[in-house]
Amino acid sequence: MSDAIVRLSNLTLSYGKTVAVPDLDLEIVEGELIALLGPSGCGKTTTMRAIAGLLTPASGKVEIDGRDVTRLAANKRGIGLVFQSYALFPHLSAFENVAFGLRLKRMPEEEIRARTQAGIATVGLTGFETRKPAEMSGGQQQRLALARSLVMEPKVLLLDEPLSNLDARLRLEMRTELQRVQKDTGVTMVFVTHDQAEALALADRVVLMKDGKIEQLGTPNELYAQPATAFAADFMGFENIFHVEGGELVSKAGRLPLGFDTKAPILAWRPASVPVGKGPHKGQVLASSFAGAHREYVLDSALGPIKADAPIETSEFPIGESVAFDLPRETVRSLTA
Amino acid sequence: MFLNTREGLALALPAAIFALLLFLVPVGILLSEAFQTDTGWSLRGYVDFFSKPLNQTVFFRTLKLGVLVAGTAAVIGYAAAFCIVNLNPSARGRVFGLVVLPLMISPVARTYAWIVILGRTGIVNDTITGLGLSETPIRLLFTETAVFLGLLQLFMPLMIISLVSAMENIPRDVIPAARVLGANWLQVFFKVILPLTKEGLVVGGTLVFTGALTAYITPAILGGSKVLMLETLLYQRVNVANDFVSASVIAMILIVMSFSANLLLKHIATARK
Amino acid sequence: MKNLSTWIILGLTLTFLIGPFIIIILAGASAGESLAFPPDGLSLKWYLKVFTIESFRDSFMLSMFLAIFGTLAALLLGIPAAYALNRYNLPGDETIRTIVAAPIIVPGIIVGLALLRYLVVPLDFTVTMALFMAHTALVLPYAVRVVSSSLNNLRADMEEAAVLLGCTRFQAFVKVVLPNIRGGVLAAFILGFVTSFNQVPVSLFLSGPGVKTLPIDMLAYMEITYDPSVAALSALLAFMSLAIVFVAERLLGFSRYV
Repeated sequence: MSDAIVRLSNLTLSYGKTVAVPDLDLEIVEGELIALLGPSGCGKTTTMRAIAGLLTPASGKVEIDGRDVTRLAANKRGIGLVFQSYALFPHLSAFENVAFGLRLKRMPEEEIRARTQAGIATVGLTGFETRKPAEMSGGQQQRLALARSLVMEPKVLLLDEPLSNLDARLRLEMRTELQRVQKDTGVTMVFVTHDQAEALALADRVVLMKDGKIEQLGTPNELYAQPATAFAADFMGFENIFHVEGGELVSKAGRLPLGFDTKAPILAWRPASVPVGKGPHKGQVLASSFAGAHREYVLDSALGPIKADAPIETSEFPIGESVAFDLPRETVRSLTA
Repeated sequence: MFLNTREGLALALPAAIFALLLFLVPVGILLSEAFQTDTGWSLRGYVDFFSKPLNQTVFFRTLKLGVLVAGTAAVIGYAAAFCIVNLNPSARGRVFGLVVLPLMISPVARTYAWIVILGRTGIVNDTITGLGLSETPIRLLFTETAVFLGLLQLFMPLMIISLVSAMENIPRDVIPAARVLGANWLQVFFKVILPLTKEGLVVGGTLVFTGALTAYITPAILGGSKVLMLETLLYQRVNVANDFVSASVIAMILIVMSFSANLLLKHIATARK
Repeated sequence: MKNLSTWIILGLTLTFLIGPFIIIILAGASAGESLAFPPDGLSLKWYLKVFTIESFRDSFMLSMFLAIFGTLAALLLGIPAAYALNRYNLPGDETIRTIVAAPIIVPGIIVGLALLRYLVVPLDFTVTMALFMAHTALVLPYAVRVVSSSLNNLRADMEEAAVLLGCTRFQAFVKVVLPNIRGGVLAAFILGFVTSFNQVPVSLFLSGPGVKTLPIDMLAYMEITYDPSVAALSALLAFMSLAIVFVAERLLGFSRYV
């Protein structure tokens, strides 16, 4: 049974008078890859900075590896942080960037050299030692920033939006890279992201945050298939969320009769779960876009806009045409809040 | 961009000619006087000048104070600039404004305050005698310390402005990154801040050094004839002794020092990576 | 961040920089007879006395005259120069720039002395004339620099568009360039005014009996009198400079152009 390597208890974080995170409790297990996910302003970056020691909590406790570090300065916590901007030292070469933290520890020169070389090799940047960060591409810079933190053998590695600045292909490469590094070194990784696809692909557990509080905590599977609240569902891609009232679905735009009974106050469907071309309801095609394996429609209905995806094999419905659609019971997700 | 050079020159030349005739030519002639003696051109003027102990004292004192003021301004300037850069935007604007404010006020006013502070019945002496630390008031005016303080106050804003500007160019997360990697604040300063703000330091340092070197009002008011600096010496030589050769020698020294400092500045500023 | 140490450092620094100024204001407001701080009682009598001293009135007028007209002259020379340096590819433009910027590099006292010996004495210029030219030359570098930076922010194609629409070059300049660098010109004027008004070294040698700029007059007065009137005058001057800058800031966000 792995121990909690990071424990946040009753953590309250604020900026001046504004409370960003009120009373947070979270335990991070050693060796796991955990994602803090949420929209901007939800407190995920604030929480990460508090773990790093770059922000002092207004109240509450931060423990790392059993030790209370709440008042401990950032340079003594033994954690690593890869910044979203990479924060590489522009005046130092790649080698010196990676060696920076090791030099502060006053190790013998040969050991510094060995560990730095090994670190550079781990991220596949051998040969780049003399280059300055400005002479490297975005992906290379990020790997350098990763090496710089890894070489310190931190207890916990924090990553701030590690994949946001990369183009699609690099993003996939980096994802695999991070997973590989984590498997090889066993370091606990906590990363912050606003991209649910990223969180789901990388993490062992996902912490969905909203307004400084944990909305839902679970495995990617749990969050994807069983979001607990309307917010979670919306974030996870259930784009059709409606309240239920007297056997009907209601929205600001109007009402639609529900074809089945339910006790749940809120129901949600993914666009892929909304059949187009057959069903008891009718809607007008407002927009239609090609998305490779499927076509994405926006239908105007009594409930307002409905997002529906149809497989690419079905023939296209032109804009303006009235089509049938269904909100079936088989694929619905019931929500209580 | 316009290609009619004649037109362009016609627009720019009046200013240039004005500056040339009014300025460089007379100054040039003045400086040449330093080389002239009854028997034609020579460096006699300089040799004579430097052979007098009083002049040597004044020269080295001016140099010394220039360096001291620049150095102290750098240390305090870094501390202040670092604080300013880390303030929230509204406070930063206000504090920065307060720092720049004194520059708009006449140096006469700014220096005169020191008389009130350092005089026999001034604040410092009143405190000292009041606390019983000394029987009689200490002489603080007309000392090198007084001139030092006056010059420091006069030129420090320049250093702070320069350093703040340099610090704002440090990429945002670089300092927290160094902290997380284990650096204490002293290490952060020497390994990250200093290398990255080097240019600002040179700009500020040169401005302060040149300023201190060529200051007149402050040494005149706070140093008088007891603590002569090169400029006050120059004034004295002309007014009291009609000694234009000395004056020219001093003028030349000042210009050379000032010019070299400015050249150094330009060199560093344009040697960007 | 370490908030307490931040406030201590900034507090001490600002006290050092601004404290003396506050002291002067208060020392000048003394009800007593001699210069001291804290003042014995408060009174505006020294501030009022300043206005009655005739030589101060005269030197104030002279300083104002020099500051206003010297700066105007500097702008008259400097704006075309800045424009030419900016928009044209002039041969030797680095040289021109250096020449025009030189007055800042050469210590003022040397300038004053040189002008005295080679212009005033031999060519029989009046002292006022010499002062006027000296102050113009002094402000010129600032005028050129500030207007240049203002021009840099103004794209050249605006003028080209105006010319294509039928303007002569001069009309284009007046209708398109001038209105858009108005802020820069005003900023240059203010900067020049303050610089000229506070200037001492240049005016040292060029001043004579009856013809003194205000700062020089104050220096002379300080040598013989030791009462709060000098403090009051210093404070008044400081207020004047600040008021000008404050108004400028309000009118056009001054700091953009410096």
